[in-house]
This record gives sequence, structure tokens and C-alpha cells, in this order.
Amino acid sequence: MAQSVLVEDLRQVVGEANVLNTPVHLQLYQYDAYLEERRPDVVVFAHSTEEVVGIIKVCNAHGVPFVPRGGGTNLSGGTIPFKGGVVIEMIRMNRLLEVDQRSLRARVQPGMFNLELGNALALLGYQFLPDPASQKAATLGGNVAENSGGPHCFKYGVTTNHVVGLTVVLPDGEIAEFGGMAPDAPGYDLTGVFVGSEGTFGVCTEVVVRIVRMPEGVKTMLAIYDSIERGSETVSAIVAAGMVPATLEMMDQLVIQAVEQSIHCGLPVDCATVLIIEIDGLKDDLEAQSEAIVRLCMEHGAREVRVAKNEGERALLWAGRRGAFGAVARLSPSYLVCDGTVPRTALPTVLKKVAEVGEKYDLKIPNVFHAGDGNLHPLILFDWRNAEQKARVMKAGMEILALCVELGGTISGEHGVGLEKMDSLRLVLSEADIRSQLRVKRAFDPKDLANPGKIFPAPLEVVGAS
Amino acid sequence: MPHDLASLWRRLEDIVGNSHMDADPESTSAFAVDGLVPSLTVRPGTQDEVAEVVSACAAEGAALVPWGGGTAMGTGNRPERVDVVVRLDRLDRIVEFDPDNLCVTVEAGMPLARLQELIAEKKVLLPLDPPDGARVTVGGLVAANLSGPRRLQHGTIRDWVLGMRVVLPDGERIRCGGRVIKNVSGYDMNKLFIRSFGTLGIVTEVTVKLLPMPAAQASVMGLFPDLSGAAAVVEKVLASFLLPEALDLLDPGALDLLAPALGHGATGGFALVAGFTGSREVVARQVRDMEVLIAEWGGTTHLFQEADSVRAWAAITDVFRALPEDPLRVLCTMAVPIGRTAGTMASVRVRAAEQGLTATLSAHAGSGILRAAFRPTHGSSGEGAIPGMAAAIEILRGEAAAVGGSLVIQEASPRLKERIDAWGRPGSGFATMRRIKVEFDPQRVCSPGRFLGGI
Ligand SMILES: Cc1cc2nc3c(=O)[nH]c(=O)nc-3n(C[C@H](O)[C@H](O)[C@H](O)COP(=O)(O)OP(=O)(O)OC[C@H]3O[C@@H](n4cnc5c(N)ncnc54)[C@H](O)[C@@H]3O)c2cc1C
Repeated sequence: MAQSVLVEDLRQVVGEANVLNTPVHLQLYQYDAYLEERRPDVVVFAHSTEEVVGIIKVCNAHGVPFVPRGGGTNLSGGTIPFKGGVVIEMIRMNRLLEVDQRSLRARVQPGMFNLELGNALALLGYQFLPDPASQKAATLGGNVAENSGGPHCFKYGVTTNHVVGLTVVLPDGEIAEFGGMAPDAPGYDLTGVFVGSEGTFGVCTEVVVRIVRMPEGVKTMLAIYDSIERGSETVSAIVAAGMVPATLEMMDQLVIQAVEQSIHCGLPVDCATVLIIEIDGLKDDLEAQSEAIVRLCMEHGAREVRVAKNEGERALLWAGRRGAFGAVARLSPSYLVCDGTVPRTALPTVLKKVAEVGEKYDLKIPNVFHAGDGNLHPLILFDWRNAEQKARVMKAGMEILALCVELGGTISGEHGVGLEKMDSLRLVLSEADIRSQLRVKRAFDPKDLANPGKIFPAPLEVVGAS
Repeated sequence: MPHDLASLWRRLEDIVGNSHMDADPESTSAFAVDGLVPSLTVRPGTQDEVAEVVSACAAEGAALVPWGGGTAMGTGNRPERVDVVVRLDRLDRIVEFDPDNLCVTVEAGMPLARLQELIAEKKVLLPLDPPDGARVTVGGLVAANLSGPRRLQHGTIRDWVLGMRVVLPDGERIRCGGRVIKNVSGYDMNKLFIRSFGTLGIVTEVTVKLLPMPAAQASVMGLFPDLSGAAAVVEKVLASFLLPEALDLLDPGALDLLAPALGHGATGGFALVAGFTGSREVVARQVRDMEVLIAEWGGTTHLFQEADSVRAWAAITDVFRALPEDPLRVLCTMAVPIGRTAGTMASVRVRAAEQGLTATLSAHAGSGILRAAFRPTHGSSGEGAIPGMAAAIEILRGEAAAVGGSLVIQEASPRLKERIDAWGRPGSGFATMRRIKVEFDPQRVCSPGRFLGGI
């Protein structure tokens, strides 16, 4: 049967031990951090660019689709093999190939975890700035494909601002280099176009990233509020005062309580919200800046502002923020992570409206958000065994996204469209916009083999006909 | 040529009115691209009109070239055809200014300098400083990805664009991105049009992030007898905690051109100029550290404070404007890994001299960008010098290629461009680029032939 020929051909490329096709194994690869599941036909571990070429050529020969997979932590169904086919697991390509301190660049394989890269660079006094809260388990390849953010985006930008070159195996099995160690390579900026393409343009097998010197000083503050609105107003006030903190993150009461239960980092469980503010840079003005910020927080109704006195206190604050998603998992069997974004000044409004949506659908919605970026993550709690409740959750999620769009924002700030948001894409893109994006897809992947069935909703004509 | 010029004229006249069109060779010649004079120029007044103009050109089989401030029209290969130049100077409005959210949306023909003036009252800026800033338009900045010294700290326009509107080669209007600072709703289409040199359509509107204005600024210039001292300081600064906004390296030729502006007199040596912005404390500290470093490596220091610092950078950014006119002059940009910048400056000087060329070099030393002007050393200014120049430039291109970089011609006589490719040989990503061009512009309406590999 064709299936077994496919498996045999893949074994020829990567060896028997690197091909998984038993039902138990396949079951392990039928889900990611989103809510849908679909079983792949076969899972293959790649160890080199050449192996990826071989795997993709086999896929072409058999006309089967493939889905690259890193840590599987994406929240939009990006690694679900929607149309079956081959999952290419990149996690073994996890080496740091080169750190060129003089050129402020590093060359990395895509299966390396974001945190591993961070740790390796820290030993040299450098950092890779995009640091999603999932950095322990998320890979560079996944970061690239999702254009991930993190708590330092407000000052430093997202993944695309820090990726300057890629080696990619295109969906026809050809190897292409985009960008590289030198800037401004002539031609279209395909590095920039590939970042955020969610595995639909091919498999990236090497990433060249910008690295920057660790800052001389860092100060981390925690402002505690009895009103969530006052907290988000403070964010705008800090920006209006001409300051550019590295971090402006918020958590609401439900999240704080969950975090306290699981991590015990000393957050006050009776407050409405906490705002985590971090400033970094040269030491000379950090003290003055932090004093100014503390003042602004107090003026805007903070109950108390704590300034981390040492690395230990700082680490504890961060453990609380990074652990937020995990901690919320204690509150209910499942939750839907929304990822809407609004202009920063619309935050107080959108938060009020999200609360109204929660009331309307009788759902609990704790909130974690990258306040500086206007990127909110309402976490809609539910029980996946309750179909009626799940239906309400989906409606509430859609309503929240529509709210964000109404306020001048968008449907995804950092988690991607994947399977999850295909139906909401039309809230932000016109038919012409979608057609133009599909042109790019065709240029990369005319046979539609790379992660098919993602991002783009069915054309309107077809929807109408069915 | 379009199939029928008269018919094209009538169609465009219906769209923009004949007061915004010109077919008089006297005036159209000012819009020649590499010597190709367009049959006519047209000035649409709205984004919708741009779309109609593009549709009309496509329908009539005319090739168009968008024209912003005209500062980067010398870049790239000679187009296959230039029938219509679409001037964007009437699209110069602010669409929405939202200082509280640190962003502004403008039409593409807005000159960068005007934009900065208009937003300055709210104490914000777009921290980019391409050459010829008074003429550069926001659309041109995007289409050519122009940059200046400040890219060391602020990157390029790629890092500041949140969204844009584009008219595609078939006249369809699309939006890319939006106005929020994080956005992964579909592909990042902004990146496709940034640095596409008018080959995929016309950018008509751009939304950019802004930055609060810094409280203070100052610059330190170190004068060194030779390159090695300056290069050592570059390396030290990049490895330190210091956060210069700009770090430019000037060779003796460039330094001479700048003597009147910077007031240092003739030195015959090299200079390193570091620009700092931020709070007063941070600027003062960095100036101090920089002065110590420069002295340690045998340099003498000059300090430029506030307005003087602004003037110094304006002069450095436009250093080549002070070059004597020379029809054989070639302006290039070389891009190399950051750590190779000073080394490339040294090797290019040697190679250029071997080839009988005088080089004037100015580098963004923390960004891997060298700007170079070459001309024949001995006044053999005739056409006969062209083949030799072309061969010499290829050799210099080899210096960049040897370290994984590129050399792009920004300005050269059409005769020279016949003999040398402005971009160099395409790499392995080119097949995809060509398919993108075919997908978006199968009829080759937009700037055909101008970009890499004849795209
Ligand atoms: C607890 C938690 C916290 C999170 N916090 C954040 C956050 O703060 N910010 C944020 O932005 N995201 C966050 N995420 C989302 C997620 O971690 C990121 O999207 C991450 O970058 C995904 O990396 P991954 O290795 O898990 O990729 P995967 O989930 O394996 O894959 C993601 C996508 O990338 C593609 N892909 C993977 N590798 C390659 C490759 N080599 N070449 C081409 N395509 C490839 C896949 O096909 C898929 O479409 C969080 C997720 C969780 C579970």
C-alpha cells in the first residue's frame, strides 16, 4: 500500500529509528497547545538540512503534505497536520552553530529552544531579545514561523526585528538562503516575508539572529492596583512621559491568585491588577527613571510599588509572569487563549468590554497582557467535556476579537492564525488582501504541500455554494 | 512604448485632469530614469486615483515607474521601459497622527523632513536619517529601504512600519499590517513591499511607529592618523555597554569633504564619529567613556553638543553631496558583516588604488554598511574609461562577496550600467523572488527590469 512505500522511502532518508508510524506514536503528534487534533500519517526526525531536503523530495514524489514541528507549543493549531501527511520534527537540529560577537550575530539551528540560546549567549554577555513566556519549550524555528513576541517587545520589537537570515528548504526540496550575516542582501526581503509564515513556506533549517550586549543595568518594579483601569492608564502615562521601558506587563486578580497558588512569588491576592515594569540600559539614569515611574504609578492610584532589590527578587517576579498560563491551567480543565491587540490607549476600554463579554456568556475570563504592546490575552475558562460550554467559549472568543478590530486593533498579536483564526481573518483582511497573500503562498509553494489548510479561510464563493 | 499614447493620455486625463499631466520633453526629461525619458508624467491626487492610473497603464500596456522624492532613482539597473512616471508629490497628507499611541499614518509622497517637522510639536520623531532627508519621501524610504547613521540603534524603516496601503500592478488596492505594534494576522506583507523598488506596485500610505524625543544629544569625533586606531575603538565600543545611536567611520577623502562642516582642518587621517542621545546623564557618561577610549587608541577628540551635533550628522549623512561633479563617478553601497566593516574599508582602499580609482568611503561601522564613491584617479574622463571602471567595480564587489556581503550601485552613468549589473549576481533565493514578481506583475507594468536579476 502507498502508505508503506512512503514510510519506506522516508526511512531511506533518515534511517529507521527516525521514522515513527505506530498508532501510539502518531497519537502523540496529533495535537499542540491549541484545542484541535488530527493524526499525521508519519512523523520523521530531521538532523540536517540535507535530510530535510530528502524528506521533502519524498513528500513531493508521493504528493503528500508536510508540517514542520518544533516544540508544539503554538496556540493556534499551527502544527496540526490538517490534511494528514508527514510531520517533520525539527527538535534534533538544536545546535548553536556560530556566535560572531564582533558582528553581533549568531547562527542557530531551528530546533534549539529559545531559552537554551538565551543561556548560551548569557555566558558570553549577550542576549537574543525575543523571549516568549514559553521559551523553555519553544524552538527558534517555531519563533520564526510564528513571529513570536514576548515581554520585551515594547522596546525591542518581535522576532522579525531580530532575525536577519534564514536557510530554508522550499516546498519543492530546493535549498534557499535568504539574508545572512551581512545586512541588506539585494532582492526582496524574503527573510522578513518568511518570518510569521506559520510553516506554510517550507522548513527553515538555519537561522541567523541579531544578538545584543546584556544591558549594564536593569530595574524591575511591581505596581499594585485596586482598579484595573488605573493600572492600564498608568501604562499610557509612562509612555506619554517619554519613557520606553523594556517591559510593561499586566495580570488581573484571577491570574494573580492562580500564580500565587502555584508559584508563591509574593503577589498580593486581594488586588485588582499588578503591572510589571522593567527598565534597562546604562546605569547612570536608571535610578532617576525608576523614581519617575514610581511617582507616575502612585499618581495613577497604585496602592503600592515594589522595586526588586536584587536578582533574586527580580527572578521571582518574572517567574510569576512567565508561569501565568501554566498557573491558570489549575483553574479549569481547559481554556481558550485569546490574542487580540489594540492601540495601547484603547486598553481600558477593551478590558471593560471583555468583562462584559464574560458576563454575557457566563464565563470566567482571567487576563494576562502585554500592556505596552496593547496585546491582551483573555483566557476563557471552560471544561472541554461540556460541548455547550465550549460553543459559548468560541462565540465569546470571536466577540472579543471583533471588539479588538473595532477599536483599531487586530485578531492576533503573536500567536498566529493557524487553524484557530481562519474564520476571523476576514475581520481584518479584505478579499483583495487575502488574494494577494495567496499569491505569495503560490510563489513559495505552488503545489500546496507545506502545512496546507491553514491561515486562509475558504474562498467566499465556495462557502456560499456549500 | 504603450500601444497607443493618445489613448493612454485620454484615459489618464479622465482620472487626474490634464493640469496634472505632462508630455513636454522639456519637463519630462527631469524624470528620466537612467537616461530613459518617460512619454509622460502624471500626478494623481488621491490613493484611488493612483489605483486608476495603474489600471489604465496596465490596460494600455504601458510600463510605469513610481517617483517620490527622486533621491533613489539612480539605484538599480536601467529599466526595460519607462512609459509613464507616476509622481506621488500630491499625496503628501497626514492621514492620522496618534501621538499617544506613538504612531502616524501618512500618504506616501510626504517628505520625511516635513513629517518630522509636523510631529515634532508632540515631541516625537521617526528616528531614521537617510541621505537627502529633505527630499526623501516616506514612500521612497520604504520602497528603497534607505537608511543612515542612526540605523545602528534604530534599524531601518523595516523596523518602524506597522502597516501600509499598496496599489498592486493590476490596480487592486490592498492593506498590509495595521496600526498596532504586534500583528501576526496573516503573512507579514509589509516586508514584501519594503525594498521592492517599485516592482510590485505603488505604496500609497504608510503607518509608522514613533519614538519620544530624547532629552539630550551629543557626538564625539575621534581623529586618528590611521585606520587601525579607529577600527579598534569601533570594536571596543560595540563590545561595551555603551549604546551609541550612530558610529560612523570616515576615510581621509570623506574627512576632507567634511572639513568645512566639522571644522577640523585637513588631517590626512581617519575619523570615527559616535552619536549619543538620551537623558543628560546617559549622554554625558557616554561622551566621557568615548573620549577616554579615543585617547587610549591614539586619537584626538572633538565634541559636538546639541545643535552642533545635529549639524555634524547632517553633513556626514550627505557627505557625498560635497563631491565634485564627475560624469564617471560611481556611488555604491557595500554591505558586509558588522565585524568586517573596517577591514573592508582597508581592503577596498587598496584594491581601488590598484585599479586606478580614487575611493571616498564613509561607513556605518556598527551596521556593516559602507558608502563609497569611486572615480578614475587620473583625469581620463572620456567614455574610454568606462570598460575599465566596470571591471574595477566587479573586483571591488569581490571584496564584499569574499566576506559574504554585496555591492549595490546607487548611481552611475547609463553607459556604465550597460556593462555592469547594479545588484550583482542573484543568490539561491532568486527563484522564489522571480515567482513573486510573476504572481504580482505578470504583465511587467511596474518598474520592469530595474531590480535584482532583471526583476
Ligand atoms: C505557556 C505558553 C506561553 C506562551 N507564551 C508566548 C509568548 O509570550 N509570546 C508568544 O509569541 N508566544 C507564546 N506562546 C506560543 C508559542 O510558544 C510560540 O508560538 C512559539 O514560538 C512556538 O514555538 P514551537 O517550537 O513550540 O513551535 P511549534 O508549535 O512546534 O510550531 C509553530 C509553527 O511553526 C512551524 N514551524 C516549527 N518549526 C519550523 C521550522 N523549522 N521551519 C518552518 N516552520 C516551522 C510549525 O509548522 C507551526 O506552524 C506560548 C505558548 C504557551 C503554551
